[in-house]
Amino acid sequence: MRYVFLGPLAMTVVLLQVAAAPYFPLMGATANPLMVLLMCWAMVRGPREAMVLIPLTAVFKDLITNDPVGITVLALLPIVPLAAVRERHLTQSEFVPIVVVVAVASISYHLVYMAVLTSLGEDIPWVQSPLRVLLPAALLDAVLTPLFYLPLRWVTTITESQARLRVVG
Amino acid sequence: MRTIVWVLAAAFLALITVALSQKGALDPLRNLVLTVVSPLERGVGNAAEPVADVLDRIADRQDLEEDNRQLRQQIEELRAEIADLHEKQALSEGLQALLEVQEGRPNDQFLAARVIAKDPSNLKERIAIDRGRDDGVAEGMVVMSAGSSLVGVVSGALDDFAWVTLITDPNSSVNAMVMESRTQGVVSGTLHSGLKMELLPQEEEVQPGSTVATSGLGGNFPDALLIGEVVSVQGSPQDIFQKAEVEPAADLTRLETVLVLTSFQPARLNHTP
Repeated sequence: MRYVFLGPLAMTVVLLQVAAAPYFPLMGATANPLMVLLMCWAMVRGPREAMVLIPLTAVFKDLITNDPVGITVLALLPIVPLAAVRERHLTQSEFVPIVVVVAVASISYHLVYMAVLTSLGEDIPWVQSPLRVLLPAALLDAVLTPLFYLPLRWVTTITESQARLRVVG
Repeated sequence: MRTIVWVLAAAFLALITVALSQKGALDPLRNLVLTVVSPLERGVGNAAEPVADVLDRIADRQDLEEDNRQLRQQIEELRAEIADLHEKQALSEGLQALLEVQEGRPNDQFLAARVIAKDPSNLKERIAIDRGRDDGVAEGMVVMSAGSSLVGVVSGALDDFAWVTLITDPNSSVNAMVMESRTQGVVSGTLHSGLKMELLPQEEEVQPGSTVATSGLGGNFPDALLIGEVVSVQGSPQDIFQKAEVEPAADLTRLETVLVLTSFQPARLNHTP
């Protein structure tokens, strides 16, 4: 049932990424709201739901862009192992590790994406990419994190407390 | 354990779809999804553009944006005219071979197309247009701006849509010529920093402000199609070639309508069976 709501929400974020994000570049780089949403999702609610959303949203995104279908699934896959950080409880705050993990996920997203494009014969400027793509994109995605983290944390807290009340009742 | 299996399975399936997609097997599905989604995409894009404009104004970068855009358009048209005049002058000076090519080319025919999306990745400079194979668009066709300057090349065509690789894409390269000195070189895209013109012979004099247009060499682009203006020239006397930074004539970040040159058959199209 929850996917009835999650699916359209994630699809809307894909649409925003494809149609709106290119209008707001930072140092030439464009934000990746889909990746930020999925990473926050996996960190706040666990990777299980993200494992359903990743293929659905990634394939949808590839179908409406010029990317080979499947490349975004590959680029988003590191989100699942990265979400294991939530089990470690490295800091008292939940937010700080999420921002760091989003930045790391952004870098891994681009590295996988570039590797796949290179293997398909595209000319990818690897040398310039750290300063012109990886760093600005990671920064932009990290800045975007609160926009997704805060509502997600709020909804998750409410649904969890409701579930606890139901168990007690 | 279950997570590892999921990751491996997802990666395997994704690789299969990448392979299928490269073979064009998913093109009908792409076309269908784009048909449904493109109005929404255009709506979101139209809504985002004014917001981006406002943010730009806040950043004090584009205070007189509308005027600027009109002036750019005028400059672009005038420069296209200058490029054309330069070419005519060269022809009148006895470039008979070029004249034959020019005369052999039928009158240019264009197909207007609306830009419906931009590639959201950070590595490619591509736009989607609302014309496709059914409208006569084919891969390799040359795309121009409303101001008659070069925008890019159709890199993928579906039935109702097509993707255009802009000249600023790192994968793009165009045989070009500095109109004033007739120096030939290759203009290619760079990652987020405009265009560079390479392979300019050291002995040739190239000045900032010079007009760069297509040379027509190789047959993939018509000749004398305006590309942009030389901003700076780099290269020490020891170098064999000079390099120039070129600013595109068209504002490639704010394209709304483009023209697909349907009457010109690029050399690569002629080779297709």
